[in-house]
Amino acid sequence: MTLNVCSAAVRADGLSRRYGSTLALDEVDLTLERGITGLLGPNGAGKTTLLSILATVSEPDAGRVSAFGLDPRDGAERVEIRRRLGYLPQELGYYRHFTVAGFLDYVAILKEITDRRRRAEEVARVLAAVGLERRARTRIRALSGGLRQRLGIAQALLGQPDLLILDEPTAGLDPEQRLRFRELLSGLPGDPVIVLSTHQADDIAAICPKVVVLLQGRVRFAGTPAELAATATARVWAGDQRNAGAHLSWRGGDNRWRHIGDQPPPGAEPVTPTVEDGYLLLSQAASEQ
Amino acid sequence: MSPGIGERDDAALLRAVARGDEGALAALYERHAGWLTVRMTRRCAMPDVVDQAVQDTFLALWRRPGAYRGGGDVAAFIWGVGIRRLIDAIRRENGTRWRLPWPQAEPEVVVSAEDQVLVGIEHGRLGQALAGLSPELRGAIEATVLDGLTCAEAAVLLGVAEGTVKSRCHRARVALRAALADQHNGPNTTAARREAWGTQ
Amino acid sequence: MTSSFPGPAGADGHVGRDLLAGYAAGTVGPVVVWSVETHVTGCAQCRSAMSEHVDGERLARNRSVLLARAALPEGGPVRRLLCRCGVPDHLLSLLAATPSLRRSWLLSVLGVLTVVTGEAAAVAHGWIGNGGHASPARYLGPHAGPAGYLHPEALVPFLVVAPLLVLAGVAAAFVPMFDPASRLAVAAPFHGFTLLLVRSVSALAAALVPVVAAAFVVPWPGWLPVALLLPSLALCAFALATATVLGPRAAAIAAGALWALPALLLAEADVPLVIVQRDAQFSCAAVLCVCAVLLFLRRDRFDWGWMR
Repeated sequence: MTLNVCSAAVRADGLSRRYGSTLALDEVDLTLERGITGLLGPNGAGKTTLLSILATVSEPDAGRVSAFGLDPRDGAERVEIRRRLGYLPQELGYYRHFTVAGFLDYVAILKEITDRRRRAEEVARVLAAVGLERRARTRIRALSGGLRQRLGIAQALLGQPDLLILDEPTAGLDPEQRLRFRELLSGLPGDPVIVLSTHQADDIAAICPKVVVLLQGRVRFAGTPAELAATATARVWAGDQRNAGAHLSWRGGDNRWRHIGDQPPPGAEPVTPTVEDGYLLLSQAASEQ
Repeated sequence: MSPGIGERDDAALLRAVARGDEGALAALYERHAGWLTVRMTRRCAMPDVVDQAVQDTFLALWRRPGAYRGGGDVAAFIWGVGIRRLIDAIRRENGTRWRLPWPQAEPEVVVSAEDQVLVGIEHGRLGQALAGLSPELRGAIEATVLDGLTCAEAAVLLGVAEGTVKSRCHRARVALRAALADQHNGPNTTAARREAWGTQ
Repeated sequence: MTSSFPGPAGADGHVGRDLLAGYAAGTVGPVVVWSVETHVTGCAQCRSAMSEHVDGERLARNRSVLLARAALPEGGPVRRLLCRCGVPDHLLSLLAATPSLRRSWLLSVLGVLTVVTGEAAAVAHGWIGNGGHASPARYLGPHAGPAGYLHPEALVPFLVVAPLLVLAGVAAAFVPMFDPASRLAVAAPFHGFTLLLVRSVSALAAALVPVVAAAFVVPWPGWLPVALLLPSLALCAFALATATVLGPRAAAIAAGALWALPALLLAEADVPLVIVQRDAQFSCAAVLCVCAVLLFLRRDRFDWGWMR
């Protein structure tokens, strides 16, 4: 088998997945390279399904996945992908009576770190990376939501994975924690392939050099955040009144109305679009289809 | 760390560790890990093994805090725990061939006039007799006397058989007695008298 | 108490900086080393001075690993014994982490057992009526109870429930619904079958021990505890083997029904103890062997598609 030398480390072709009568993923094509890629979409868009397929946890109904040249349909290659994988599922359940260190030790064993010394070193390393050293002996049931999220990120970092799949990692984190999360991701050794999903556009703007927008099971956009913002060029205005004719109209934090649409409302001037504007425009277009 | 932990003495810290205070364990580590690492390195040249032994020592203090009976130096107690953890760590390395890093018959590197006097006065006859021993005999005496190890433990530390340790200790004692007797019966110079081993 | 480094020549009673550096570097002769070490054992100031000769990063790294190790629970005597027997350390940690060993689970098992055992004992001793069933003479055994005759129907709840408790414990080990972190286990490279075996062993131990102990309490011939072992094990093996075909939840339910329905039907027909007699025991053993082989052959099915 020849090694895939192109820069796409992870590639998905034509993925489809159906749950009962709902089509969760519809012919999704995706390429992921080293660095951070954001997966943006509302709840129910299929992000979790896509990420669980990439993490070899679910099987697609149709389509193929290739990670580092390995195909998860083959048993041995699937295990090899999992050796390089770090996965944070959405709503990760914990053994509530475990301690933080005990839980990390357990996951480290699942990642085949059998040597006790290396396990202790890895656990210490990820505890320091997410800032949970002082909580090593705390039981998980005593942790707040934000701390549990940090624990989830920590377990994904065990073993220094080459492929890091994080489903809604910033949910439940306050702004200071989000900042630390960004620093953490940018400082990871080994330059892994990182894909994280979120429904908040400002996370994308701040963290991800590449973004994929997933709406209703289809990829609507793949590119940089700047390009996503640019799709809304000349369609965003700010004014002092509400505009009933615009696609979307809301009052922003600076007490001015922001409008997205084709027709400028009276008395409004055009403004530079943000990533969120581009995303909102895309969702609007998708819902009209 | 809780305030005031810097002022607590070692015995109080050990008592706090016995109560499950993790901050006390960290404070104890801050105070004692440094010299413990250096002292262990003088006995074992492998830094990974020393790192393991240092961790195991504090882990032992954490898990069995009641072993400290409250009398005597905490540092001496910690060394007692530590040297045995070092032996265990060496054992786990599956009998890697390794020698004590004592200098082979090297003259003492005395670095200042003060230190020269210190060394001379303190060790007088005993020091000279010890310095006159060969390195292997001296190593055996040091392991059993200074570190207080049993012959089996000293055997692991020195990397030789237990019987070898026993015979070396015996020969060392014989040699020391002979050397001390020589010194005593030697010329009764003023210098020798001045160097006499004084109060203990 | 601190001892001062002996010496009258105006020294402040502590080891000189150069001497300390020489000691740390190993360039100092052995006799001086003795003096330094003996002094440092009693002197906090010289101890902290000596710490400066160690790489700060090395100390910090050891500190964080130490605190991580201190945060993990220490193994009990059982673990040490198993370690000496050669069981790998990581498997012991997995065993210790199994949810089946939780106190709440054990307490509920004990609770249910107390109820059914108590009921059986109470009927046998005549404290409660036996519901109007006659006691055929052929069920009298050599260990008749104090009331002079036995009530096999009283054993029905115990006989039905006991193996089901064992099955429930093992089911909790492999049905993803009971494992909150099941997706992590699926996404991990650790062999699913090994994990399943580890959890099943600990679940079996956690369930079989109270069940067999309760069987000793139930007033019936002494072979009842032993006679329960084969049906319980066969039931669990059947559930696991079927899980590779039907999926975990369906397999657990099917296995439970496979035991409960015949037991209840036989109880209705007044022959409840057939299930623990010789022919039944042999068929249980056969089921156990067949399912064990099937399980081994299909062991790779345990690491894919649990989320369907």
